[in-house]
Amino acid sequence: MTGREVINGSLQVLVGSAVVLLVLIVCVRAVRRARERHRQRTVEPLRVLLLELLCAEGDEAAGSLQALSALDDRSWAAVEPTARTILAKVSGHARTSLVGLFEQRGVATRAMADLGRRGSVRKGRAAEVLGLLRHRAAAPRLRVLLVDADPEVRTVAARTLGHIGDPANVPALLNCLHGPHPVPPAVVLQALTAFGAAGHDQVATGLDDAEPLVRAVAVETLGATGGVVWTTRIAAALRADPHIEVRIRAARALGALGTPAGLEPLLDAVRRGQPEPLRVVAARALGRLGASCAAPRLGELLDDPVHRVASTAARALLHVGPTGRDELRRAAGGARGVPAVAHARAVLAEAAIGEEGPRSAAGPAAVGS
Amino acid sequence: MTPPLAVAGTAAFGPAASTASGAHDVLLQVIAVSNVLVLGYFLAINTGYLTLVVIAAGDFVRHLRRIPFAGYDDASASPFTLPVSLIVPAYNEEAGIVDAVQSLLLLRHPSFEVIVVDDGSTDATLDRLRGAFDLVEVPRVVSTEVPVRGAVESVHLSRGGPVPLIVARKRNGGKADALNVGINLARYPLLCMVDADSILDSQALLSISKPFSNDPLRVVAAGGVIGIANGCTVVAGRVVRVRMPHRLLAKIQTVEYVRAFLLGRTGWSRIGGLLVIAGAFGMFRRDVVVAVGGLDPDCLGEDAELVVRLHHYLRGTGQDYRVVFVGEPISWSEVPETLRVLGRQRRRWHRGLTEVLLKHRDMIGNPRYGRVGTVALPFYVLFELCAPVVELAGLVLVPLGLLIGAVDLEFLWRFLLAAYGYAMVVSLLSLLAEEYAFHRYSRWRDIGSAVLGAAAENFGYRQFTAWWRVRGIWDAAHGAPKVWGVMTRRGFAARPSEEDR
Repeated sequence: MTGREVINGSLQVLVGSAVVLLVLIVCVRAVRRARERHRQRTVEPLRVLLLELLCAEGDEAAGSLQALSALDDRSWAAVEPTARTILAKVSGHARTSLVGLFEQRGVATRAMADLGRRGSVRKGRAAEVLGLLRHRAAAPRLRVLLVDADPEVRTVAARTLGHIGDPANVPALLNCLHGPHPVPPAVVLQALTAFGAAGHDQVATGLDDAEPLVRAVAVETLGATGGVVWTTRIAAALRADPHIEVRIRAARALGALGTPAGLEPLLDAVRRGQPEPLRVVAARALGRLGASCAAPRLGELLDDPVHRVASTAARALLHVGPTGRDELRRAAGGARGVPAVAHARAVLAEAAIGEEGPRSAAGPAAVGS
Repeated sequence: MTPPLAVAGTAAFGPAASTASGAHDVLLQVIAVSNVLVLGYFLAINTGYLTLVVIAAGDFVRHLRRIPFAGYDDASASPFTLPVSLIVPAYNEEAGIVDAVQSLLLLRHPSFEVIVVDDGSTDATLDRLRGAFDLVEVPRVVSTEVPVRGAVESVHLSRGGPVPLIVARKRNGGKADALNVGINLARYPLLCMVDADSILDSQALLSISKPFSNDPLRVVAAGGVIGIANGCTVVAGRVVRVRMPHRLLAKIQTVEYVRAFLLGRTGWSRIGGLLVIAGAFGMFRRDVVVAVGGLDPDCLGEDAELVVRLHHYLRGTGQDYRVVFVGEPISWSEVPETLRVLGRQRRRWHRGLTEVLLKHRDMIGNPRYGRVGTVALPFYVLFELCAPVVELAGLVLVPLGLLIGAVDLEFLWRFLLAAYGYAMVVSLLSLLAEEYAFHRYSRWRDIGSAVLGAAAENFGYRQFTAWWRVRGIWDAAHGAPKVWGVMTRRGFAARPSEEDR
C-alpha cells in the first residue's frame, strides 16, 4: 500500500467518523430534549396531585394517593424524580403520605429486589431509595452491601443504615471500618450519630476493637451524641491509646461531652512533648469544656512555639468565660512572653468586633512563629 | 492535541524524484525521513489524546449513573464534612472582587471560610472589600509555616456578624506568594484555591471536596473543571445561562478547554497521572501542602509545579496517595478574546510547563515515580513541551519540501486534511462526551458554534499558539524576566441579553 493510498483511506475513515460524531451529537441532544419535553408535559398536571397529597389532612389524601398510585408506568417515571426530591425534604404527615405512595407504587419492593441483583449502579440507587423511605426491612441486605466490592455502594449502604436508624445495625457499621478499603469514617460517623443515645452500648463495643479506625469512630460518636457514661473510657483512650488518630478523636469527644472528668486528661494532652495535632485538638477541647481551672494552662500555651497550638489556646480562652478573658488580658498586658501578647491581643480584638459592633479594633498585623 | 503541520515526502510516499544530484538526494532523504518522523509524531499525539478522551468519556458515563446516590445532600448537612479554607489571591481586582467574594460566601457547604489575599494591589481592591463587608483591621498573628516573601501588612475581619471572611493585605510578591500567605492564614484541613475573577457553581465546593471525604487517607489534591464564562449570563454571582462565546477566538478556546482540560485531565486522573490542577480551582490537603513548603513563587506555572512536587514528595517518601480530577464542579473564568492577550497567556503557560519539567527532570522516565514518572511526564515532554517545536518545524519543512520538489502538492493537501481531520475528530468526540454527560450549552446554535470552533482551530490558531509556546520555552531557557501581564476582561453580563431571552 502506497502512502497516497494510506492517506486516502485515512481521510475516508476520518470523514466518516466526523459525520457519525456530528450525527450522534445532534441525536443525543434531540432525544434528550424530546424526553425532557415529554416529562414536563406529563409532570405538569401531576404536580397538582402531588401537592394535594402533601397538603391533605387525614383522609383527604386518599383521593390523590389513589390517583397517583394508579398512574401508568410512564407517567410515574416522569413524576417520580420530583416526588423523591420532595421526600428528602419533608417530614411529618407529608412524608408519611409520600412514603405511602412509594410503597403503593411498589418502589420499595423493587428496590429490595435490586439490592440482591448484579450491577453496582442498580444496588446503589436501590439503597438510596430505601434510605429515603427509611425502609427497616432493608437493613439485613444493606448490611451485606457494607462489604460490597464497589466503594460507592458500600458508602450508600452505610448512609442508608443511618437513615433507617435501627441500633441493631451498629456492629455492622463498625465492622465496615475494617480492612484495606473501609467505608469513609465520616460517613460511618454520621450514620452512627443518627442512632443517638439508643446506640451507645453497641457503639461502645468499638472502644475495644483491634482496629484503630473503629476505636476512633466509636469515641467520636460517643462524644458527638452525649455518651457521658463513657467519659472514663474515652479519657483512657486519650491517655493510652497507641494510635494518634484515636487520641485526637478522644480529645475532641471529651470537649464535646463537657464533663469534669475530661479535664485532667485534656490538660495532660496539651503538654509539650505530646504530638502537635493532639495538642491543637486538646486545646480546642479545653475551650469547649469551659472549665475555668483550665485557663492557667491555656495561658501558658499562648507562648508555645507552635503557632497553631498558641492560636488555638487563645481562642479556647475566649470560651472559658471571665477567667479565660482575664487570662487573655493579663497576657496582652505582657504578663507572659512576647508571642503571648500578640496572640492574646489578636483574639481579644476579634472578639471585640463581634461584641462591640462598629468600634474599630485596629492594630498592626504581627508575624508569629 | 496539536497536529504538526507536516508532509510525507515523495521518497517515502509519493513518486520518487529520480534525477537529483548527490546533495539533492541527501536533502530529499533527510526531508523524507523527517516527514515520516513527523507523521509518526502526529499520529502518536492525536492517538494519545484520543485515548485520554475515550477513558474520560467512560468515566463520565460511570459518574453520571452514580449521581443519584452520590450523597451530596447528606454531605451538605453533615457536621463531619471536612471544613474548607477558600483562598482567593487578588491583585487589582477592584472591579469584581466584591461580587466574587459574595458569591463564594453563598457556596453550598456546611463549613468553610474565605480568605482573600490582596497582593499589594495598586487599585481600590481593599477599599471595595472594606466597604462591602464592613471590614475592620485586627492584629492577627500570621503563621510562618510556609515561607512568604511579601510581608503581611494587615489582616481584616468582617464586623457584620458571623461572616467567615478574612482579608489580608500584603506587599506584592506574586500569585504564588499570595497563596502561601493564604495557606498560613487558613484554619481548616482542606485548602481550595480560587481565582478572584472566577465564578463557582453553588455545588462546586461540595463536589470537589467529595473525594477527600470518600478517601480521606489517600486523596491529597483534587482539580475541578474550568468553564469559559465569555458569553454566559451571570446573575448574583452565579452563571445562570451558559452560552457559547460570541467571538471566534473564544469559541475555539471553549472547544480546547472541553477537550484538553475537561476530558484530558479526567483521563489522566483515571490512569493516575494527573499533573496539572488549574490555579483557578483546585483543592489540596493543607498538611501536605505545608509539608512540601507551599507554592513556588519562582515558577510561573506554580499550580502545576505544586502538583508535580506533591507527586515528587509523596512518591519519594513511599506514601500511598491520590491526585484526582472531578469533572462535575465548575469554576467559570473569562478567556482572552484578543490575540495579544492570548499570546501572552500561552507564552506564560508554556514557560511554566518548561520550568516545571526542568525542575523535576529527575522524575521523567523514572519508575520510582510510578505512572507519573513513566507515562505522564514523558507524555508531557513529548507531546506538550515539544509539540510546538515539531509543529513549527513542519511549517519550515513544508515550503522547503515544496521548493526542492521533495513534496508532492496533491499529497500535501491530502495529508494536511488527514492531520487536521484527525485532530477535529478528537475534538468532536470531546464535544459528544460533553453533550452526553453535562450538556451545558443548551441551544442548537451552540453546537454549531462548537463545531465551527473545532474546525477553525486548525487554521491559524494552532500555528499561532505553537509560535507563542516556542517563545515560552525560549523564555524559560534563557531566564527572561517573569511577567504575568494584564488580562483584559470584558466582565460578566449582569442581565441576559436580548438574544438569550
